[in-house]
Amino acid sequence: MEQYNRTIQTLERLRAESTAAGGPDKINRQHAQGKLTARERIHLLLDAGSFEEFDVLKTGRGSSLRDDRIYLGDGVITGHGNIDGREVFVFSQDFTVIGGSLGEAHSQKICKVMDMAVKVGAPIIGLNDSGGARIQEGVDALAAYGEIFHRNVRASGVVPQISCIMGPCAGGAVYSPSITDFVFMVQESSYMFVTGPNVVKTVTHQKITSEELGGAMIHAQKSGVAHFTAPNDILCLREIRRLISYLPSNNRQPPPILDLRDPADRIDPALDYLIPENPSQAYDMNVLIHSILDGAEFMEVHPDFARNIICGFGRMGGQTVGLVANQPAVLAGVLDTEASFKAGRFVRFCDAFNIPLIALVDVPGFMPGPDQEHGGIIRHGAKLLYAFTEATVPRISVIVRKAYGGAYLVMNSKHIHCDVNYAWPTAEIAVMGPKGAVEVIHRREIQTSPDPETLLNEKMEQYRHTFANPFLAAQRGYIDDVIFPRDTRHRLIRTLQVLEGKAAEGPDRKHGNIPL
Amino acid sequence: MFDKILIANRGEIAVRIIRTCKRLGIQTTAVYSDADSRSLHRQMADDAIYIGEASATASYLNEEKILSAALTSGCQAVHPGYGFLSENTRFAESARASGLVFIGPPSEAIALMGDKIASKELAEKAGVPVIPGHGQALKDVDEALAMARRIGYPMLLKPAAGGGGKGMRIVNNPDQMADALAASRQETRKAFGDSRIFMEKYIEQPRHVEIQVLADGFGNIVFLGERECSIQRRYQKIIEESPSPGVSPELRQRMGKSACDLARKAGYVNAGTVEFVMDPEGKFYFLEMNTRLQVEHPVTELVTGLDLVELQLRIAAGDHLPFDQAGVRFTGWAMEARICAEDPARGFTPATGMITRYAEPRGDAVRVDSGVDTGSKIGVHYDSMLAKVICHGKDREAARTGLIEALNGYHIEGVVTNIDFVNSVLCQPAFAAGDLDTGFIDRYFDGHLPLSPPDERHLKLSALAAALVYHVRTIVVRESVKTMVSRIGAGKSTAGVHHYVVRSKEDVYEIQLEKGPERSLWNIRVNQDQMVVESPDFEFYRRRLKLKIDGRYHRFRLRIERSFFWIAFCGLTRLFEVYRPGEWDLIPHMPTRVESPPSNELQCPMPGLVVDVSVKKGDRVIRGQNLVTLESMKMESGVASPVDGMIAEVLAAVGDAVEAGDVLVRFMKHETGSVNSEQ
Repeated sequence: MEQYNRTIQTLERLRAESTAAGGPDKINRQHAQGKLTARERIHLLLDAGSFEEFDVLKTGRGSSLRDDRIYLGDGVITGHGNIDGREVFVFSQDFTVIGGSLGEAHSQKICKVMDMAVKVGAPIIGLNDSGGARIQEGVDALAAYGEIFHRNVRASGVVPQISCIMGPCAGGAVYSPSITDFVFMVQESSYMFVTGPNVVKTVTHQKITSEELGGAMIHAQKSGVAHFTAPNDILCLREIRRLISYLPSNNRQPPPILDLRDPADRIDPALDYLIPENPSQAYDMNVLIHSILDGAEFMEVHPDFARNIICGFGRMGGQTVGLVANQPAVLAGVLDTEASFKAGRFVRFCDAFNIPLIALVDVPGFMPGPDQEHGGIIRHGAKLLYAFTEATVPRISVIVRKAYGGAYLVMNSKHIHCDVNYAWPTAEIAVMGPKGAVEVIHRREIQTSPDPETLLNEKMEQYRHTFANPFLAAQRGYIDDVIFPRDTRHRLIRTLQVLEGKAAEGPDRKHGNIPL
Repeated sequence: MFDKILIANRGEIAVRIIRTCKRLGIQTTAVYSDADSRSLHRQMADDAIYIGEASATASYLNEEKILSAALTSGCQAVHPGYGFLSENTRFAESARASGLVFIGPPSEAIALMGDKIASKELAEKAGVPVIPGHGQALKDVDEALAMARRIGYPMLLKPAAGGGGKGMRIVNNPDQMADALAASRQETRKAFGDSRIFMEKYIEQPRHVEIQVLADGFGNIVFLGERECSIQRRYQKIIEESPSPGVSPELRQRMGKSACDLARKAGYVNAGTVEFVMDPEGKFYFLEMNTRLQVEHPVTELVTGLDLVELQLRIAAGDHLPFDQAGVRFTGWAMEARICAEDPARGFTPATGMITRYAEPRGDAVRVDSGVDTGSKIGVHYDSMLAKVICHGKDREAARTGLIEALNGYHIEGVVTNIDFVNSVLCQPAFAAGDLDTGFIDRYFDGHLPLSPPDERHLKLSALAAALVYHVRTIVVRESVKTMVSRIGAGKSTAGVHHYVVRSKEDVYEIQLEKGPERSLWNIRVNQDQMVVESPDFEFYRRRLKLKIDGRYHRFRLRIERSFFWIAFCGLTRLFEVYRPGEWDLIPHMPTRVESPPSNELQCPMPGLVVDVSVKKGDRVIRGQNLVTLESMKMESGVASPVDGMIAEVLAAVGDAVEAGDVLVRFMKHETGSVNSEQ
């Protein structure tokens, strides 16, 4: 009996030791920086009382350099728990324990939950707050990273992988988040870069702060590495829960149906007035998005990056949909390199996880100019073309206004086999806009005219009448129906219903070769 | 009676007139400009005739086009509404000359009352008290000083022309006279091309009280009680009511008699309003007579049960007044709020855009006179008033609380409005006490924000609504994903009481939610207050919520903003942050956000051509205001200011080809002044 009590006591002691993490001083320091501890984060992320921890007692082998202390848990907390009752796997790096540095045991713990997540088909959420590779472990630390990368790639497209950067993430460590599907960053307390400010200073003599080099806003606005940002840990963790509510747990599952009691046949008369009478006037595509989605709830991906295209998750009739929409209010909604990359990756995520795609099209074309051409708009534009064409989930398009030239084809057109393509009466489907077209077709005539201005306007009007409308395309069957704007929501939900049973298979191949 | 009339107006008043015509079986012709081609008044009328471009001079002030529209569409009469051509003598004359009946007073009466001096002289002759003052335009400062000595300070300098307070100056002592007179002259010359200035006694803490009169062509004149219109912002009325809390029955009779005497003396026919200014002792003075239907006429209609437009039509058609003074009866109290497209937080600047969602309050005691609907586009060409909400109650408090509830439920999205500002005025204790004068807004508000702390109960109810919606939505999510959840171990114990902490600015509320015995019932504790709440089936898409709290219904407008709730209730508009206890415990560790200093430059977001620069050096601008318009990709788009501030330098010029990243505008550094306090 005494022996038995002693082992119980030992377990209690070990657990207490593990829970104590890096000790009060380090925890206080973490809090003083506006950061929560690894354990606090897990408890906020998961439903109360649902966390089950693995490898509490696992430790590293100790340093080969000097006799370092051995820590229970080795600087990372791993396990599983629930989000709104659904199972997810989590690892949370503990900066208070050896700086959250990644060594062999630390990595093995992460790999264990990743393997299990794939086995049972549940999402993986990584909360990153690590000083980087544990230098004392030498090549073992590098091998440890490699094991994680390998699993990230194996799990890609099988279960959703979400990374959340809540502290430093530098060097090789950045590549695990960058392979995952979505990266969250906490403003002002996180940063990501391959080489830090010190190295930058030595090599290029540039003085730059960590925040300026790889802070949350930089990655959210400029590099596109971060898909979401939040002002603090608490809100960031809430946003992860919100994202999960849109996603299936794995690629064999449909996404959850969430009934917000928004009627499927709700009409919105405001949409009949959305498109300005003057074709060169902009409007805000968000009005349409908020109108058609259930409860106007929209989780926008990359809200601050390439704002000329809008991507994000919403629900229609409860069904999660991936929305890709041109934004006429920003750069006229033109497709450029960044917009193509942003939308291309989003489309592929949706396709991998059975989320139907809806494109709302108002695109004047690809962005012209040497910057774009030299920046590879051909390569990048091809990514979006490839992604839409390859997708086998239900694909619906609504042409709202402009659909010109190659950009029309790329934006989930009937010609690259979208399932259903609708157009509003205001749609203009043509090879190019009226002015450009008329200047090409009637160049000589206009040049030699005594009143070129009037003739140009006359020809433009003629062109608009003949080409810049949805009716020619409807005659050909490229447009399945010209719909009343106010009915858009209802028509889309009916179409999602009919496409629910869509079965599509590609040719037998290892994988396609998307122009990365 | 007429078979068909033309309505020479737009917006809510055109719609309101059409309503009465439909009830009476009179056909209507609407006129519309480019800006109103899809407007409500156009859709409701039997006929609609296009009269020109958006600007008022090209359309609603274009007498010729309007009269020819009336003739070609076979109308017998023209109703001018208010504003535009309603008090235009020439228009009234030309209408009559073209054989149309002008639904309003004779043009002589319009002319007489339009002249401030003549009308005042007439009032004196009719024995109506007028403000002590000098009946002629001031020659110079010396004369002004001499007059002021006689009348006594403080006194008011008042321009002969125009209205809306332009050019008015209060002079408290002789030293201020010279400067005030010069400033007043300059301002009125600039605005109206007329620099004649009058002087009169300045009434301190004045109330604005007006009497509605009706006169037929047979010499019968009645008054329909008074309207209190003291709640004004920059001389624009915001809230009106009838009766006035400051008018006794005896005073009402005296004011009514004065108004009728004046109308009789003026040979007035049809509906008119005699405006008085009233001092705290109840002494009243004639201000002016408005020779048209007033914006605020519905409060009179609700307390008298009459339709003023119908009476206008009957009188214009040559009928006798169907009742005499003894036949006018008053029941209860009516109160009206004017709803305008303006942004209180930005100094009440006009707001534009498309109304993307629109729902009017309903109820037996609530009337909404509106000129807009879902899809309406609000531009810059006309008055910013969109609608009026009028509430009737058995007494003043019932009318006031009814109006507050109605405004809580008035849902307009897409265009910023003053709904919540008006509601915060109605919720001021001094307003509830009926303690009104025209200085009310200046006394109790700083800009759009009340100076008094927010009502604690209103905050508590908002916090309760936020927590309840958060809770119910969480349950909806749980229920929905049930099929994806392991079926093993489903029998978990669920706590009966749910705890939340709601924070809004500095205010923190602890909320305990407990499901009541029935599906829709909740026992909710907010801090120490226990409440019983009955909730509907939540329909989150509506963004409106009606809760029965301790037996009374309350309406909230709310929007989910990421993890939080924006709630509008009784004039409060705030973000409410709902936290689970576990989150709340960790809140102290979260950094308090320090706003990073905004950039001092406006950079060009895209390559293009500058087609318009709408600011110059020294201009104050607000965040979001378009400063430069670019043409790019054959599209025109505005480049908005990233900050509130003052322009230090404009580097872009019309015609410039600009690249992304080029600096278009520089702002002054360390600009701290608020643009809202701008005069």
